[in-house]
Amino acid sequence: MIELLTETAIQEPQRIRGLEMPWNRVMGSTEGAAGAARALGPWHPQEFMAECVETVPEAGGMMTFVFRRCDGAPLAFRAGQYVNVAFPLNGEDQDPVDRSYSLSSSPTQPWTFNITVKSDPAGLVSPWVHENVKPGTVLEMLGPVGAFHLPDADRRARYLLLAAGAGITPIMSMLRTIHSLPGQADVVVLYHGAEVGGFAFHQELAYVASVDSRIKVFYSLGDRSVPEGWEGLTGRLTAAMLDEVAPDANGRQVYACGPEGYLNTATELLRKVGVDDTSIYMEFFSGDRQTILEYQAELAFAVDIAEEIAEEIADSAEDYYESQPTAFGLYEPGYDAEGTLKATGLPLETADEDAPASEAPEGNPTVATEAGSPDASSFDTVGTGSLTLSFMRTGINVRIDPDEHILGVAQRAGVRIGANCKEGMCGSCKVVKLSGEVEMNHQGGIRAREISAGKFLPCCSTARTDLVIDA
Amino acid sequence: MSAPVLPLNSRGKLASSLPAEQLAEIKELFDFRRVGYSLDAPFYTDPTIFNIDMQAIFGQHWIFAGSIAELPEPGDYITVDYGPYSLIVLRNDDGGVNVLHNVCRHRGARVLTEPAGSTGNLVCGYHSWTYSPEGNLIHASAPGETKFDKGCFGLKRAHSRVVAGLIFVCIANEPPADFDETAKIFEPYLAPHDLSKTKIAYQQNIVEEGNWKLVMENNRECYHCDGHPELACSLFPTWGLTEGLIPAHLEEVWDRNKQAQSSLEERCRRYGLPYEVVEELDTRVAGIRISRESLDGEGESFSPDGRRLSKKLLGDLRDFRLGRCSMHLQPNSWFHFQGDHVITFAVFPVNEHQTLVRTTWLVADDAEEGVDYDLEKLTYTWKQTNLQDKAFVELCQTGAGSPAYEPGPYMKSEYQVEAFINWYVQRVQEHLA
Repeated sequence: MIELLTETAIQEPQRIRGLEMPWNRVMGSTEGAAGAARALGPWHPQEFMAECVETVPEAGGMMTFVFRRCDGAPLAFRAGQYVNVAFPLNGEDQDPVDRSYSLSSSPTQPWTFNITVKSDPAGLVSPWVHENVKPGTVLEMLGPVGAFHLPDADRRARYLLLAAGAGITPIMSMLRTIHSLPGQADVVVLYHGAEVGGFAFHQELAYVASVDSRIKVFYSLGDRSVPEGWEGLTGRLTAAMLDEVAPDANGRQVYACGPEGYLNTATELLRKVGVDDTSIYMEFFSGDRQTILEYQAELAFAVDIAEEIAEEIADSAEDYYESQPTAFGLYEPGYDAEGTLKATGLPLETADEDAPASEAPEGNPTVATEAGSPDASSFDTVGTGSLTLSFMRTGINVRIDPDEHILGVAQRAGVRIGANCKEGMCGSCKVVKLSGEVEMNHQGGIRAREISAGKFLPCCSTARTDLVIDA
Repeated sequence: MSAPVLPLNSRGKLASSLPAEQLAEIKELFDFRRVGYSLDAPFYTDPTIFNIDMQAIFGQHWIFAGSIAELPEPGDYITVDYGPYSLIVLRNDDGGVNVLHNVCRHRGARVLTEPAGSTGNLVCGYHSWTYSPEGNLIHASAPGETKFDKGCFGLKRAHSRVVAGLIFVCIANEPPADFDETAKIFEPYLAPHDLSKTKIAYQQNIVEEGNWKLVMENNRECYHCDGHPELACSLFPTWGLTEGLIPAHLEEVWDRNKQAQSSLEERCRRYGLPYEVVEELDTRVAGIRISRESLDGEGESFSPDGRRLSKKLLGDLRDFRLGRCSMHLQPNSWFHFQGDHVITFAVFPVNEHQTLVRTTWLVADDAEEGVDYDLEKLTYTWKQTNLQDKAFVELCQTGAGSPAYEPGPYMKSEYQVEAFINWYVQRVQEHLA
């Protein structure tokens, strides 16, 4: 039956280049961004309450808990990050026990979010979670946290995702995210498990790999006994296995998550097959002491930030947004600080981007008294007219009318501006406008980017407002 | 014998009215050049032959000017000089490239004097004649003139082709027709590196005290590569040799080279990248050699250990281990395309004994200096190599000036030098015929 349905060959989808997270463009542009998109911007951790709405048993002794925030807001995060959850193990009136769990759902479906917990019989918390967290349970959370996540934009988007055991949870979030987004990507997943029935999400993985030609999934059973009929790989991670599943690993970004021993081996092997250290991102799951300390430090910082945010929101919502880029710099991954945003053609702007334009020219003692407006009030003023044209270098104010060409005014006032065609063609009179608006009718003598950099041609311009120019 | 007329439509050109005797003498030099031997001294030292080179080679053929990474936005331009010629290469508003002679139609002044920049219209600095980016004269103040027709004084245009992001120009009225065929050969090798998504990391201009042909000859062989210790880390010093020509001390390297080449070819087949050698250096007018060849060490780039020098892959390439896709084009360029960066080399003759060599390092346009690449490391190998080559070329130029100089034999591994000279001699002979 299936064969009959698929008899006709279907062509590959046409895709835009690379991957881009849905919030990326909005976050990259300046003020005035849509509020909802801002809310989705996974810039910073927050403290919030969340209600469990579903529990889904998974293979491998794992359980997925689906939550929604009690305040109704979406949870903004990056695929691969985790949340810290306070579990009231000893009842509501005792101190809760905190644990960090990776989010396994995709941030492109932000109205609910999942964590997936493997029950460790010897553990204190995970058996309690499996036993006690049910639909209706409300828990206190802090997040998202963590630098292990997909970039906001990646025009190459070639990934090798390595997971061992419960290490699949953040990888699952990445995979679901990529699957939900349009764009060119090339993803290889290599998933190590201890036993045939122990691969969580295997049905979904098989489905995604079957409908999304960008994604390939490989399973390996490690060094355990291999039952008959097993069609996956066998054995622990080796260079040969990496080469088999991803012969082009060398050109991929590698995200790996699993137990410490597995990740240490992976680091070594990846180097061996030529992957650059800076292309390897790892999340230590059953962390050693060092990792745990790092987590604690990160969480402690997140708590501070979350508190700060709460206070600032109370003070002023606007100030809070403006303060974000510096305040939350820690949570911006190094590789998207400039690079990937630039790659999308978006300017990275900061709140004070326009500051240089309002600086007074050098050598002029009568400089700005207020931020942003040079003070020309001490200059001599000549002429009559409804508007004031201030020449900062020359140090003179001229009263002009809105229909006067500025070049002519300058020449009459003895201000030296080189000019030739006087028709907006040659560009030789180009000067910098420090403030005010002009009406310019040029004929190719100036480029749009020069105009946006504040320049104009006085020979073909008239003033709309008071003007301050660098001449 | 009728008066010799060199096919340039400009009137009053001194070189076009060489005395018949002198021209016959020069033709003889070309006709009796000894195959397999370096050229006679006047080819490297005589200003008249230099003028003929400028007319017959640089005035007739497709020559490399630069890459589109040098003109990222509309209005960006570079000026390039070939001997007496000066051209403006400008990115227009449609994303195409305009090539204009950099000679004002008023009194001949250079219109643009900077080597590179950005402009709206083009304004001559002398009397402010103003041209549109298309070369049309759009403004010339003309007090009292009544019969001045601006339409008659546009900047002269030259032909241009942009192939895989490389800009080629041709001054001839009718450019040689086979360039398009050559472009079809090299386009599939270079296109995957996507020059339209690269930026200049660094550009080096050096003036070598040598004739342009000596610069080209030096580039077309690796017999001298013992003199390039930095380059020898990644470029197999067996380059140009074949089985049977390998000296004992290079046998081990040769084996490593063969192994690296076969795994590179396997990778190329996997990614659908062409790698075969195409060599038509003197068997076509637009002479070319192109191939993808392995590099020593990790096989990624021109670094001491063969590792990548920039961390951002170019284009949609999938792998850093792609060796070097190298191209030689007659008459004035060569190129190395790696997974992580591209190096273009352009040769601009200045006069019979000076040549400008322009080397440009291109990286992915989202690669960040200091983060994705270290500029010193990126440029080190070829900066050193260029200085060494400059010294070699200058040794030869000095030698050609000596009365004791006589042409010497090219070795087997220098067959590409012979091919370059053969190409050159044929082209000039066609021109003088």
